[in-house]
This record gives sequence, structure tokens and C-alpha cells, in this order.
Amino acid sequence: MLKLINLEKKFGSFKAVNKINLSINKSELFGFLGPNGAGKTTTIKMIAGLLAPSGGKIILNGFDVWQKPLESKKKIGFIPDQPFLYDKLTGREFLYFSGGLYSLSKETIKIKIDELIDKLKIGTWIDKRTEEYSQGMRQRIVIASALLHGPSFILVDEPMVGLDPQSAYDVKKIFLELVQNGTTVFMSTHSLNVVEEICTHVGIINKGNLIFQDNIDSLKSMINGPNKNFEDLFIQLTNEE
Amino acid sequence: MGQILHIIKYKILSFTRFESDLTPANVIKNIAGAIIYSAFAAGSFIFIHKFIAFLLVDIKVGLFLLHQFISIIFYILFITINIGNMIVSYSTLYKSNEVTHLLSKPVQPVKIFLIKFFDNFFYSSSTLLMIVFSILAGYVYYFSLGIEAFLLLLINSVAFMLSAASLGVIILLITIRAADRFGIKIVLYTLASLYILAIFLFFQINSPKTLVTAVMKYYPLISKDNYLSELIPDIIKFLPNEWLSQSAYWLVKGNINNSLQYLVYQILLTIVFLGIAATLGYKWYFRTWLLNTRMNAELSSNRNSSLPLFSFRKTSSLSPLSDSVLKRELFLFMREPSQVFHSIVFFFLVVIFITSVAGINFVGLGNYNLQTMIYFSIFIFNLLFISTLALRFIFPLISLEGEAFWKVRSSPVNPSQILFRKLIPYTSIIIIISIGVSYYSNHNFTPELILVAMTITLLSALVIISINFGMGGLFANYKEKNVIRLASSQGASLSFLLNIVFMLFLVITLYKPLSQMFLFIMIKKEFTFQMFYYNLVPVIVISVSLSIIFLKIAVNSLKKDL
Repeated sequence: MLKLINLEKKFGSFKAVNKINLSINKSELFGFLGPNGAGKTTTIKMIAGLLAPSGGKIILNGFDVWQKPLESKKKIGFIPDQPFLYDKLTGREFLYFSGGLYSLSKETIKIKIDELIDKLKIGTWIDKRTEEYSQGMRQRIVIASALLHGPSFILVDEPMVGLDPQSAYDVKKIFLELVQNGTTVFMSTHSLNVVEEICTHVGIINKGNLIFQDNIDSLKSMINGPNKNFEDLFIQLTNEE
Repeated sequence: MGQILHIIKYKILSFTRFESDLTPANVIKNIAGAIIYSAFAAGSFIFIHKFIAFLLVDIKVGLFLLHQFISIIFYILFITINIGNMIVSYSTLYKSNEVTHLLSKPVQPVKIFLIKFFDNFFYSSSTLLMIVFSILAGYVYYFSLGIEAFLLLLINSVAFMLSAASLGVIILLITIRAADRFGIKIVLYTLASLYILAIFLFFQINSPKTLVTAVMKYYPLISKDNYLSELIPDIIKFLPNEWLSQSAYWLVKGNINNSLQYLVYQILLTIVFLGIAATLGYKWYFRTWLLNTRMNAELSSNRNSSLPLFSFRKTSSLSPLSDSVLKRELFLFMREPSQVFHSIVFFFLVVIFITSVAGINFVGLGNYNLQTMIYFSIFIFNLLFISTLALRFIFPLISLEGEAFWKVRSSPVNPSQILFRKLIPYTSIIIIISIGVSYYSNHNFTPELILVAMTITLLSALVIISINFGMGGLFANYKEKNVIRLASSQGASLSFLLNIVFMLFLVITLYKPLSQMFLFIMIKKEFTFQMFYYNLVPVIVISVSLSIIFLKIAVNSLKKDL
């Protein structure tokens, strides 16, 4: 589904992402972990087409994301870490706008919005301007806009930021349902609990280098001795580098 | 005071670091910027020198009329600075994150008010100050006045601009308090009507046409250089634009006492306006900040924001992409009160401009050289006007994609498709206005000349739009939401200066063939357009090349890392 081959990003002399190689298969829920400034958002932005890689390749569904951007972007539903919206549009208008970008018909957009209103519980304020929304409300509209066109690959950067416990629970449920239905989710997060709870596979990035990549069971098997839990293990792995 | 200096210190630090990042792109931008600024300063200096010579020596308007024209231009400038500052101040004093942050700290609100006021003034007026500086230098040099005269005029001009800006924030504070009492819509409509009335009445009372006719009645009995006080309506004598032009007039006439008298008026008015602004800021700023927050919350709960005719839910004959982009543009524009308010006043100025140029009399009949000059003056005036429109509406287009641009960039569409769809409605409006202005301002000339003027204006408008679009992409700032701040940023200034360079190129290339054309028409010799076409070829080649280059710059800017 997704292959990162020697993917690299430099900002001047600083290497934010250092030739990482990664492979994710269909229906995996991949948790991308790492401390602050490790290179998670940079990697995600390169996959989403917002940052040009300094080297390497990103292959999604057989298409090179930077050679055939339009084909690969059709398959991606992107949820950024900062849910920026158009302040003067309502949530519903933003979703119609998003649908237009994917050339969806008005009828399809309407059906999808009605569906997402229930799933994400956004019905009470979807017709208010987004300038009045809280961070969590914005985040839910962004999630809705990512799911609108039925993508086969969801790319998420810190999805739980700003969400209340109920919304976080709903979002986790949605991701699990999607994966069960054949969608692949690539999710960066700080929340080790979320990874432990829903991810099937894990990658850990530190200082631009991918230091771990395997399934969640393999990571769990490393919890022993001084590493009593996921947190201890994560700290140990990221401090070793 | 220590606190104010502390905040300013860190603001300057952040600004200088932002501006001095040593990336190759920044270095190129800064070098190019410095070259264009210097060229422009020199160009304005030469232009103003030649232009005064043209008005005084060729057309012989006389010192009195020259300074009355200057006074009229300064009135428009006063209104422009005043409205611009009011809109920018609203966004920076009431809606910026920086202010919210500072208000949560133990800082007196009036200090924040003063810092933001001067920040706005110097940020928005820096280019204008540079232009004023060059123009004053050209003016002082033409009349062989000394450095003292230059300094006096400079102080007078800065005081004049500060008055306009101070009055802007005074009106803003009063508007917010009045809006709380009478409702925002009523207050905004009243305010817009008052501005329109102020412009309309000014031109009614002080019509340039009436003034010229009145001066001609006295001529040649009385020199046109004399100060004809009785021709200036009494109310006009109390306006700061008149004080500035009078101060300049008396300097030229060598009467320093009279000049100083007007300078004193100007400074006193500035002190009064600044004093009122500071007092109101001290008393009302935080209160109005709270009021504004409350009013916005109330407004949002009662808001019926739909434009049913253009609802996103409605199907249209356009493609889904065009439909969503055009509707988004319309909604974002119509729901931003500052955009609507500024545009109404701006378009009223357009109407004033069109009706003024339409009334230009046919001066200099029989003198083909003079007629060519007039034709060119009108042409340059029109292009300057188109540049202003492009700067206000085209330059900010890419930046206005804002921080939500991630959605477009991560979608399966080429961002340039979106931006060209955005560009089309604005371009169409500007083109229609440009053609209209060109027709009305040239309708006293022969049909051939009207056609030439309209063709070149159309071509130039397209180039000017491309330059502003490209420069808007090169200097895109997705974090700035305020369109006026965008249109007065460093990039916008450079864009405007590039437009001027292009205009100079047109004048240099077309002056000879056009004056020949005038001569042919004058002596009733058969004129073949072929003669003109040969000269038009380089203009077309350069124009098309410039348009392609700047459109490419705009498209490339969309590929930058987000």
C-alpha cells in the first residue's frame, strides 16, 4: 500500500528525516511514534504532498506520490495536526468545498455529510461558521473532510489533540471500522495508550531515523525487565539513539 | 514606558530575524527589492520634476492651480490612509492573537493600543513614506528650495499622515461603541455613507473644473501664480490637505512665515488627534475589546449567513471544482465586513475617478506635442489606477488561501487550477473597469486614438494583473488574514514599483509613434496603422513575456513547502 524508500528531508544542513525505509500493507493501522521534533510531521507532510522530499521515494498504491501526485492524492484522506479551516465558511460549506476538490457530485456529498454527521456527532454546529468552533470541533470537521471521498489510505497527524474523551473514543472507533473495511491508516501520535489500544503495526522515529518498525505484538514482547510498560520502553528506545 | 520599550524591542527582534534569514531566495529578493526601491526613488524624483515642469511650463497652469491640484490629491490620500488604518487597526487591535496574548499579561491595555497603532502606521505607510520622500525631493529640487524646505515639508507630510491614521482609530473606537448601542449593520452602513458623502461633497464644493474656469477668468489680468484666496471655499481652508499644499505653495513663493503657519496648524491637529486617540484608547480600548468579543458572539448566534442563491448545496452548470472554488471565494469575500466596507468605498472612488477623467477638457488644440503629452498623462494616470486595483484585489489572492491551503494542496487538483479560477472573476472586473476608464478618459480624442488607448490599456492591465499575481505568490504570507496589510506589505510595495517600471517602459516605447500619429492627424495626412504596429510589436512581446514570467512565478510559488 505505502512504501517509503530512502526518504529524506533536509532543511539547510539539518536532516529532519534521514533516509527512512518503511512498508505498510493494506488494512494496517500503523502508529507512527516519536518524541517532539523527531520528524513525524515532516514525514507525514511529504506523504501528503505538502513538503517536497530532498531524496528518496514515496510509493502509494503503485504511484510515486511526487511523480503522479493527483493519482495518489485521490486515494489519501489527510488529517493535519493543526485543523485550519476557512473561518467564514460553515462546517457544512467546508465539506461541500472539500467534496468539490475531489469532483464529487452534490448528491454524493450530501449523502456522505449526512452519514458523517451521525458518525462524528457534528450535527448541532455544522451550520455555524468555523470561526466559532473549538479545537475539537474543528478537528472533527477536518476528519469528516478526510473521509468524504472514501479514501483507501488515511494519513493522520496527531488525531486526538483537542478531542474530549467521548470524541477520542468515537474517532478510534471510526479508524478501527475503516481498517476492518480494508482502509489503511497511517497515524502519528504522542499517545502511547492509543497505539497500544488500536494499532496493528508501529514505527518509531527519533532524530529523523526510523529506529523500530514491526507489528504491535513484537513491540509488546519487548516489555520486560526495567521496561514495565509501553512508556518505559518508548523512553528507553528513544534515549538509546 | 519601560514595558512599551520591552515589547517593542522583541517585536523588532522578531521582525529583523524574519527579514534577515540568509536563504538564497531571501538574498535575491532583498537585492532585487533594493534595486527596485532605488530605481523607483530615482524615477519618482525625475518624474515629479518633469511633471511639474510640464504643468507649469507647457500647460501653464500656474502655481496656484498646481497647489490646488496637490491639495485635491492629498484629500484622497487622507481618506485612503484613514480608511486603511481603520480596517487594519480593527484586525490588529481586536482580532490578533498577539493582542490576546498581551492582554492576558499584566500590561496596561493603553500600552498595547499605542504599540499596535504605531506598528500599523509604520508597517502600512512605509512605502508611502518612501514615495512621499522621493516626491518631495523632486519638488524641492525643481523649485530650488533648500534642505530646510525639504525637512519642513517632510515633517508636514508625516504629521498629515499621522492625523489621518489617528482619526482612523478614533472613528474605529467610536464605531465599536456605537455598534454596541445601535447595532453593527446600521453603524457600518452609516459610516460608509458618511465617507461617500465626504468625498462627494468635497468634489461638489471644490470641483477642479470650476476652479480651472474661475482661474482662467482672472488670467491674464492676474498672474496664475498669485494666491487667489477667494477662489478656495472657506470650508476647504480648514482641511489638513489644504494646509499641506498651502505650506508648500508659500515655501515656493519664499514666504516662510505663511508656510510655517500652516505647518503649525498641521502639527497642532496631529497632536490633537493623537491626544484624542490616546485618551480614547486609555478609556475605551479594553472596554471596546470586550464589547467586540461580546458582539461577535451575539452576532454569531443570530447570524443567518446563507446566500441562498449561491448555496453550496445547489447544483450548478459549472464543474464541481469551479463551483466550489467560486462559491468559496464569494462567501469568504461577502462575509468579511472589512472587505465589503473597503470595496464599497474603493469603488465609489472609482466612480469619482471615472467621472473626473471623463470631464477632462481638450487642452492644447493645435499643438500636437502638447496633446501627445496630455494623452500620455491620462494614459499613465489610468495605469496607476489599474495598478492600485490590482494591488488591492490581485496581489493578496494567493496569501488569502490562508492556513487552510493544506486542504487544496493535499487534494487531487493542481493548485494552479484553483488559483486561475480565483483569478478570473477579479481579472474580469478589473479589465471591464480599465476599458471603461480608458474609453471615458479618452473620448475627446479621435476614434483611432481611443482604440489605441483601449488596446494598450487592456494589454497593460493584463500585464499588471500578472505582475501582481506573481509577486503575490512570491511574497505569499498565508498567516496574514488582513487584506489591507497584505496590500501594503513589502512585497506589495515591490509589486507596485514593478508596475511603475513597466509603465515607464510603455511611455518610452510608445511616445515617438504616438506623437507621430498626432502629427499626422493634425496635418490631416493619411495615417496608416501599420506605422504604429511596428512599434507595438516590442510592446506586445515584452508584455506577453512579462505575463508568462509572472504567471509562472505564481504557479511555482504554489509548489513551495507548506
